[in-house]
Amino acid sequence: MDDQGCPRCKTTKYRNPSLKLMVNVCGHTLCESCVEMLFVRGSGNCVQCDTPLRKSNFRVQLFEDPAVDKEVEIRKKVLKIYNKRDTDFPSLKEYNDYLEQVEELVFNLTNNMDVENTKQIMEQYQRENREIIQKNKVKLTREQEELEELLLLEQQGSEQRRLETLQEEQRQLLAKRKNKQALLDELESSQLPATLLLAQHKDRAAQLETQLEKQRQIVKPTIFSTGIPMGQTISLQPVVRMEEVLYQYQPLFIHTYGPPVPELEQLGRLGYLNHVRAASPQDTAGGYTSALACHRAVQDAFSGLLPTLH
Amino acid sequence: MFSLCPCSPLSVEEEELQCKDLIMYHNSSQRKYWTFENEETLEKLRYQANQKCCAKILSGKAGLSESLLLDPLEEDVVFKHYEKRLLDFCAVFKPAMPKSVVGTANMYFRRFYVNNSLMEYHPRTIMLTCTYLACKVDEFNVSSWQFVGNLQEPPAGQERALQQILEYELLLIQQLSFHLVVHNPYRPMEGFLIDLKTRYVALENPEVLRKTADDFLNRATMTDVGLLFSPSQIALTAVLNSASRAGLNMESYLTECMGLRDDKESLSKMIDSMRRIKNHVKKYEPPNPEDVGACKQKLERVHAEFFPNASSKRKRGYEDDDHVTKQHQAVEEEWTDEDLESL
Repeated sequence: MDDQGCPRCKTTKYRNPSLKLMVNVCGHTLCESCVEMLFVRGSGNCVQCDTPLRKSNFRVQLFEDPAVDKEVEIRKKVLKIYNKRDTDFPSLKEYNDYLEQVEELVFNLTNNMDVENTKQIMEQYQRENREIIQKNKVKLTREQEELEELLLLEQQGSEQRRLETLQEEQRQLLAKRKNKQALLDELESSQLPATLLLAQHKDRAAQLETQLEKQRQIVKPTIFSTGIPMGQTISLQPVVRMEEVLYQYQPLFIHTYGPPVPELEQLGRLGYLNHVRAASPQDTAGGYTSALACHRAVQDAFSGLLPTLH
Repeated sequence: MFSLCPCSPLSVEEEELQCKDLIMYHNSSQRKYWTFENEETLEKLRYQANQKCCAKILSGKAGLSESLLLDPLEEDVVFKHYEKRLLDFCAVFKPAMPKSVVGTANMYFRRFYVNNSLMEYHPRTIMLTCTYLACKVDEFNVSSWQFVGNLQEPPAGQERALQQILEYELLLIQQLSFHLVVHNPYRPMEGFLIDLKTRYVALENPEVLRKTADDFLNRATMTDVGLLFSPSQIALTAVLNSASRAGLNMESYLTECMGLRDDKESLSKMIDSMRRIKNHVKKYEPPNPEDVGACKQKLERVHAEFFPNASSKRKRGYEDDDHVTKQHQAVEEEWTDEDLESL
């Protein structure tokens, strides 16, 4: 569907560019005005799937596919409960398994597969891991705060830098202007020849430039834009490799309990094919060759021939 | 049946070959489960089946004399009789039935009564069911109507027979432990003839052996050799027996072509088992008609008295559903042996 629209009133984005589509937990869309109209009392059923919905749960649709909105919503909910971190697990593999499980849950809920069961699993998990969840939640909020603090600091820093550069520029401008003024004054008042004065002025200007340049160089950044301080050595060791036993091919050996059977390819050379009916062109169309039948008969004849069965 | 690891470096051809290898006798359920060590094992199993059935009947009714029931020897007589009937039925079957289908049907029949008593399941029904199943398994395509059309009977009787066949089919498959592939000695015999023509030039025209060897195999189907030896051994015995009858000595074929010259132990074992096969076949004689008559009467009485409504009472397998069996309970057993007599 190229044009997004409200499934109820059939208004599309094309006809009404200010159309606002809303999504609820079931993943079905409605436009804002329909929501207002249908959910006057605060709750009601979805037009498409009859799920009981609350008006307060309607969100503006952010993605083209409402299912994505639904998934985002579900993921948020699931992650509230499944908030373990990699530090909570003894090995990377277990952490990965855990993540896999989370994805499984999100997928099931999004696609309405086995919903009851999945919800039960989630509830059980919540009951069993109440403490860890709580602890991680606290940790998460603390981290959130730290992050915000960091952001604030960064903002302040950048603001300060901006101001400094501004001041610097102004100072430079001022210095240049002063320089120029001095030249004019000197040209006006001094007895020296103009060329000499000009040369002097150029000298002074160059000096000023180099001075500024030096100043600029002094203010060396000590932090990368990523926030990692410069000069710190980062461990570049490769990730630990998991060693597993490699698959080794072993040719299949079949005990036939009989004398060796000539290979299919050698039947002709050994003269076996002289004693079977030759395949007609019609037979060969299906891939049949007389060697196949011959080989099978000889194989059958030799298979289990030696009386070492028991 | 056979799945290869996708990363294993086998070409398609090799794969095909190995798949073919896997359906051969040496990997078969026939070798693993249905080739018994010796005659005594078979006898013991049959005796056990007979005893079990007797105990079942006697436990139901007190004060019955065992003389009413069939002993293993009498069972054997009736079994032989019905086996002959099975082969006759197959021989006149239209469209003509391939030999391998007949062999398979016969083998099913034998396998079924290794662990079951004739008194519990009437051989008349089982033999038809075995043949019907063999047609399906061996890809001999006949519809069920075509199949019962071969019974010399009025349409109503044919329908009853068909219902019975279908009713017993699953039970049969279950009793065969779902091992449905049967390796018959016919293809191995062809293989030996080809091999003789190719490698054993001492023999001028191996085709002369075919007729007697075929007869030998046909006789062999009516004995226990199929349950005791591998099909290739039976086929080789047939070929060598035919040769010795024609006055040809083919022992050099064993030593030269089979590579047994230096393996005296295997050679003597092989000769021994060939002798056993030959004895089995030689020993076979059709049952005495008088005995058959007496035993059949006994069998009919047992069935009429102790398994009057066999289809509704059976507990094993699928027959528990009443609705499947209810409708033809009434007509059950009306269809008697005499119906088949006209075959």
